[in-house]
Order: sequence, then structure tokens, then C-alpha cells
Amino acid sequence: MDLALFGELIINGALVGLMYALAALGIVLVYRTSGLANLAQGAIAMLGGYLGWITIAWLGLHPILGALVAMVVMFAIGLGIERTTLRPLIGQPVIMIIMVTIGLEILMRGLVPGLLGSGVKRLDLGISDAPLFLGDMLINRTYLVSAGIALIIILATLALFNSRIGIMLRAVSDDQTASWSVGIRVEWAIAFAWGLAAVTGTAAGILWGGSQGVDWTLSLLLIKALAIAILGGLDSIVGVVVAGLIVGVAEAIASGLFDPLVGGGTRDIVACVIILATLLVKPEGLFGREHIERV
Amino acid sequence: MGDISTAAAGSPPILSVNNIEVVYDNVFLAVKGVSLDVAEGGVVALLGANGAGKSTTLKAISGLLKPERGAVTRGDIAFRGESLLGLDPPDRVRLGLVHVLEGRRVFEHLTPRENLIAATSMHRDRRGVKDLIDRTFTWFPRLAERAKAKAGYLSGGEQQMLAIGRALMTEPKLLMLDEPSLGLSPLLVDEIFDILRKVNAEAGVAVLLVEQNAAAALDFVDQAYLVDNGRVVMGGAAATVKANPDVQAAYLGGGHQVDYAAVKHYRQRRRWLS
Ligand SMILES: Nc1ncnc2c1ncn2[C@@H]1O[C@H](COP(=O)(O)OP(=O)(O)OP(=O)(O)O)[C@@H](O)[C@H]1O
Ligand SMILES: [Mg+2]
Repeated sequence: MDLALFGELIINGALVGLMYALAALGIVLVYRTSGLANLAQGAIAMLGGYLGWITIAWLGLHPILGALVAMVVMFAIGLGIERTTLRPLIGQPVIMIIMVTIGLEILMRGLVPGLLGSGVKRLDLGISDAPLFLGDMLINRTYLVSAGIALIIILATLALFNSRIGIMLRAVSDDQTASWSVGIRVEWAIAFAWGLAAVTGTAAGILWGGSQGVDWTLSLLLIKALAIAILGGLDSIVGVVVAGLIVGVAEAIASGLFDPLVGGGTRDIVACVIILATLLVKPEGLFGREHIERV
Repeated sequence: MGDISTAAAGSPPILSVNNIEVVYDNVFLAVKGVSLDVAEGGVVALLGANGAGKSTTLKAISGLLKPERGAVTRGDIAFRGESLLGLDPPDRVRLGLVHVLEGRRVFEHLTPRENLIAATSMHRDRRGVKDLIDRTFTWFPRLAERAKAKAGYLSGGEQQMLAIGRALMTEPKLLMLDEPSLGLSPLLVDEIFDILRKVNAEAGVAVLLVEQNAAAALDFVDQAYLVDNGRVVMGGAAATVKANPDVQAAYLGGGHQVDYAAVKHYRQRRRWLS
């Protein structure tokens, strides 16, 4: 394989990885605040993608405005999910919460395409598709713009987590009872994290839908998001970016090298291999929160 | 039993607990009849043996019974004349009372400064928060020195100071402390009580202190209550309580301290049982 082609694979893979990272962010946000596994993030991204299609393609709003409207609506939906399905489960075993978020994922995956039609919907975000060359390498312009937006949203979230509100969210993830005892409204903090997760998931769904079209397969982002969240360490925002780049590039290289040999499909295996490998070799992930042991 | 009301005559108490009963899991009666008053700016101790119901009483006052499936089933708790029952802990904190939990419970992955900031959700004004942080670091200079380390790596004494400093960020009128001396050297215990005295004098914060270490506590407070088996059995001026022969025998051990090995053993057992 020639060098330019290899460079192309890596760069486009990294850009895709940043979009995946945006989807993974929602898992990390919820885990960081409440310690819960948000396995509904794929369906949330899909629902966000559909909402973006409604506001942009259907209602004809400008893509930026349409995306913002979809994000606001999904923030409310995120709050609603926490309020109606997770808060009643406080104090229940972890397995219950995992089952419920998976149940939500499956429900939305079936319900939404059922209501809005299951064909692939075209979502035009107004990004020019004129070719973009970097030396000899052909860069996907849609990926480049989308990755840029994803990175901005991730950095904004990072800044939020270092602000006063972010400190309170992190306090909640450390010790809910102690947070309550010093006046933090723990239920609000957790609901807010779900709202934010829904917002970032929506951004991911719209960006990904802009390049792949909108249909139920957007929810498969869950697998990539999970791989990234686990590899990155579940509660690290920096970890999400690094792991996103790793997963994106690994997928691109795997499919570039092996697809011609085995006839395709390697791309989707990569995320699963990364999940397994991380759990076996370094279960706390690359940037997992250190476990503080003191006597 | 005698007269167990200790509020200074005249001024109404800031906290008034009136014959409460607390039940865990709908079945276990942990507190059977506790009444106590804390005067405005007063310093009061709640003493008693392991399992007497001291922590439970504090949790009933702060509202932190809920996560442990406990509930006040009888009696009333009034803070500055307003009933607290039915309010969540964050609302009670906003009224001006705060509870420093047993075992310190600092936010381990946050720095001391972040720990303090985390306790400011009730304050709107940014400058005010900065002043409060400065005030806390003046009271606890040791924390200022370690402001950038993760709180989980602080020493036990530093963590206890951080837990108290964090609670003071809420600008309470009443500070409730659950065994702040636990596991600390006598020297550190003195240091912490000295700081608490300062806080009480400078900011007028009333203190309700739960202690195993009855000797240290009785030197620190004006008033004390003795809890036994879920009931208040004695109350009065610290000197009176200290002079009581039963208290001498049971809690002061003729000047010796409480046996910490036994305390620890009990704690481990309770952890397994609960
Ligand atoms: N969460 C809980 N669920 C059930 N029972 C509890 C719970 N917490 C405490 N108890 C019981 O309530 C009683 C009073 O406990 P509490 O913790 O208030 O005692 P304490 O006076 O603080 O003791 P210590 O000095 O050991 O801290 C004990 O019998 C204890 O076993
Ligand atoms: Mg106790």
C-alpha cells in the first residue's frame, strides 16, 4: 500500500474517531456524575439524529439552528429519561439499571424508525463535498468539519467540568451522601448529566447522520462509544479524545488492510476487540480515575 | 432523670429536638425518645456508648436518614422555630444547619480547594465564595498548604479539618460534628477543638458535637446530653455532667480514655451486619 493512501486512512480514521468520541462523551458524563452505565447512548444519538432530520430536512431550518433546536429538545428528553426511568431505581442493584438502559436502547431502536419510516433519510448539513487535498492525500471534508465540531463540544464539556458546577458534578460522583450533606441537590446534578449526555449524543447523531444518512443504524454508535469510554477509562474526558482517536484509526487501518483479504466487515469487529482487550489487560482504562487507597 | 432542658433561659433555642423516635427499615427502633436543645451560639455535646443512637440523632436533624432507609416516626425537630421534618438535606443546609459526617467523607478525587467550592451551591455571588475560601484557609492554615493535592491523599487530621472547613463554606448557624476526634492523636484533637472554639467565637456558629471521647468533649462544651440505648438519660451544664458519678464510672473511666480497640472491633462488626 502506498504511503499517501495509508496517510489518508489514518487521517480520516482519526476524524471519524473524534465523532465517535462525541458519542462516548455521554457515557462518560453519566458515569462521572452518578457512577451509572448509560447503555442507552446509542439510541439517544439515533433519536437526536432523527430530530435533526426533522428540524433541518423536514422543517427546513438552517443546519446550525436545526441542530441547536434538536439539542435543546433532547436535553429535556435526557432530563425526562432520568426522572422517569432512573430516579425510581435509586438504591436498586446495578444490574437493574443496566437492564433498564439496555431496555430503553432497544425500545427506542424499534419505536422511532417504526414511527418515522425505516428507510435511510438524507440529512444535508450544508458542508461542501468538493474534494480537499492535503498533499497527495484526499481528506473527507464532511469528516473534517464534523470532527472539528465534535472537538469543540468535547473541549467545552471539559471546561464545564472544571467550573463551579462541574466541581459539584464531580463531588456527586465521589460521594453522593456527602454531597447531599453540604447542600448539593444530587438529583438535579444527575438529571443534568443525563441532559448533557443527550445533548452530546444528539450532536454525534446529527454529525454522523450527515455523512451516513439517518436510520436505526445510528444506534450502533453505542458499540463504538462503549469501546471508547472503556478504553479511555470511563470517567475521563481527555481519555475520550485519546481513545476516540485510537479506535477511529484502528478501525480505518483494520478495514484498509484486512477488508480486501476477507471481503469486508473488519471495521465493526475492531470496537469489540478493543472492549475485550481493555477489560482483560487494563480494566481501569488508559485514563481511569486512580483508586485512592489510604490507611 | 430530672430536668433535661438546658437552653439558656430567655433566648429561644436555635435547634429544638422534641422527643423523636427513629426507625430504620420500618422495623428497627434506633432512637426511642431524644429531646435536646441547642442555644443560639451554644456549644453542646451528645455523649454515649457505641450504638446509643448519637449518629442517628444527628442524621435525623440533617435529614440524612433517607439514604439509609431511616425515618423519624414520632416527635418534631424545629430549627429557628421552623419544623425540619419533610425537608431534604439541601433545603436544611440552606436554612443554616450542616452535618459533618462520621468518617470525614471528603471528596477524595477533588483537591481541598475544590472540596470547599463543592459546598457553595447555595451562594450566588462569586466574590462571596472567594471570601469564604479565604476565611476557611485562615481557620485551617494546614489546608491552604495542601490546596493542590487530591483530598484522598491528605492525612486523617487534614481530612477532618477539610470536612469541617467544607461544612463551614455553607455559612451555617449550627455545625453538627460526628466524632471528629476519631482516630486522631490527642494533639490533633486539641488543635481541632481550638479551631472550633475560634469558629464559634468569631462566626457565632453553634456546635452540636457527638463524641466517644467524653473527656475531650466535656472540656470543650458548655452543655452536654447523655444518650443511652436510644434515650436521653441526662442533660445539663458540662461541669455537672462531668461531676456525675455514673458518668465518671462509665464514660470517663477515672480519667482514662475510651478503649479504641473495642470501638474498632465494634465498628467492623457493625459493617458486616448492616
Ligand atoms: N443504617 C442503619 N440501618 C439499620 N440500623 C442502623 C443503621 N444505622 C444505625 N443503626 C442501628 O441504630 C442504633 C444506633 O446507631 P448509631 O449509629 O446512631 O449509634 P451511635 O451512637 O452513633 O454509635 P457509634 O458511637 O458506634 O457511632 C445501633 O443499634 C445501630 O446498629
Ligand atoms: Mg455514630
